Amino acid sequence: MGFSIKTIAAGIAVCVCCVVASAQSPAPVRRTDNVPPKPSGATPRTADGHPDLTGVWNGIGDTLNGVPNQMANDGIYVESETSAHDVFSGARIFTFPRNTNRVPTNAADERAAALLRRVGANRPLYMPEYWQRVRDLDANANDEDPTNNCMPAGVPRAGIPLYIGQQPGSLIFIYPGQGGLIATQTMYRMVPLDGRQHTPLQDLDGTYTGESIAHWDGDTLVVDSWGFTSNTWFGQIGGYFHSEDMHVIERFHRDGNTLTWTATIEDPQVLLEPWTTTPRVAVLNANPHAVLPESDPCSERDLGHIVTKEHH
Amino acid sequence: MFVMRTKLFVNSAIVIAGCAIAIASPVSRVAGKGKPATGSAAQSGAASDAADRAKVLRAAADALGMVRWSDIGGGATHLPGIDVINTMEFSGTGVSYVAGQPVQTEFRVELAYNPPGMRVQTVRGGTASIQTVRENYAWDESEPGAGLIPGKGMATAQMAAAKERILQLWILPYGVVKAALAAGDKTVVSKENGNAVFTFPLAGAVAGVTVKATLDANNLITRVETKSDNPALNTETEYSDYADHGEIATDIKSPAHTVRTQGGRPVMDLQVKTWDANNPYVVFPVPSAVKAGNAKTAAARASTGALLAADGSVGSR
Repeated sequence: MGFSIKTIAAGIAVCVCCVVASAQSPAPVRRTDNVPPKPSGATPRTADGHPDLTGVWNGIGDTLNGVPNQMANDGIYVESETSAHDVFSGARIFTFPRNTNRVPTNAADERAAALLRRVGANRPLYMPEYWQRVRDLDANANDEDPTNNCMPAGVPRAGIPLYIGQQPGSLIFIYPGQGGLIATQTMYRMVPLDGRQHTPLQDLDGTYTGESIAHWDGDTLVVDSWGFTSNTWFGQIGGYFHSEDMHVIERFHRDGNTLTWTATIEDPQVLLEPWTTTPRVAVLNANPHAVLPESDPCSERDLGHIVTKEHH
Repeated sequence: MFVMRTKLFVNSAIVIAGCAIAIASPVSRVAGKGKPATGSAAQSGAASDAADRAKVLRAAADALGMVRWSDIGGGATHLPGIDVINTMEFSGTGVSYVAGQPVQTEFRVELAYNPPGMRVQTVRGGTASIQTVRENYAWDESEPGAGLIPGKGMATAQMAAAKERILQLWILPYGVVKAALAAGDKTVVSKENGNAVFTFPLAGAVAGVTVKATLDANNLITRVETKSDNPALNTETEYSDYADHGEIATDIKSPAHTVRTQGGRPVMDLQVKTWDANNPYVVFPVPSAVKAGNAKTAAARASTGALLAADGSVGSR
């Protein structure tokens, strides 16, 4: 089969145009920082005047996914290629240019990730008799992590819900199942916002999300939860176990297109003092018609093949 | 498609992350020697010094595995390498010297750099002790965490020992690199007998102490010397047998063998069995009795017109 000169010339022209068009396309935006973005836009409000938290809060991806996000969750903010600090202690963290001659491997990246997720200074203060237990749980996370085998992350380990639906008198939180740092099944919470009080703790069966009630503290939504099973950890990693008496106070504050979340954990059975997570920031999905996609079914495939104690 | 975990499940060959930069010519000139430079020559010299310093300290940090990054799940976010060392725990056995006599010693050390703290548990000749320090506070514990819960153990303030104890943190190889980086242009690099050497002053609680570190051909810190007006802070420490000694591989290298002398006299000769560098959970909360004791000391100093230490800025965790 032959081609005419015109056909060949047109083909060359198309190719040249493609190259030019490609060259003129904006390069993908590469971030060299993990600092939560500044808020933009107005904060929408409901008829009763409170901030409206409704939306899909995955504008910068899942808050548990990706080592840069996990470092920020741990309190390590890298502002630029030459500046980083610990937001809890204020300590400077030294930065270095990457080695361009380093050959990346999965093993090296995983080991680095395990270190990077634990650099931060903001750690809960356990009673001394539990210090070794926390170390052991973390070191043996491949056996001990309660999310193994696709169990729920629970509250507050699940972090910021990816979807919040705010109605008069209640809220719906949805946490799609996910892979990444921990692989978990889908979790949801229905949180009353009608002034009701907690059920007495002794009357509750412990659950992964506990019993939650919410109220407004100014423009901040406060979600108060108790009635948990002890079969969860409350930190993103680290072996941070708790008792069935854990009490969690989450605070959600919307500012424009950002949602800042913290959780304070009280557990006088195991902690010397309450502990508050480093603030996490989620960004609203910019698409006003965004919906949550169906999450993939969680299937544990790795545990049976693990031969070292290396872990997330 | 199923959700896949990203856990490591193979025994991979150890990869030294942040491969050490070969420093064919780490130091172009010896700082502090020759005629004083002026004008553009001085600027050029300062730039050269800064480049030499950055190169040597980066090489030392890389050799220890301190500089790391990971793009797992990061998408378009590519962060620079950062210093990943915060907490560690290691233990072993060896010989320490009491009044010049060698004593069989077992030890276990917990440490943190952010915020600085260290707990040293030893059993020497059948006698156990726990010496702890957190920034400007030093105390002895009858058990780990003693004095934090009423009725559980005893914490005894040892404020006079704070400087000596916290110094131990900054003369470990990781502390040396961190402190030299923090010293900025006060860190001077040079060469001695073909080896890269850097010298710098410590600051904060250990101000007044100067540290000199010597690297080997692999950029590992093999010798650390401290100089001070206080003879108790003048030490010489040799580090050797570097490897990843953790049960969980981290690609962090730590010295298995430490030999220390003080004014030529032996202080200790220790072998590490395990070294957990994976930022384990170690904490150094200051017992309220220790804080209260220190407040009394501070008040006494104030009444005599002496300068106060910046003790009030220390947190509780």
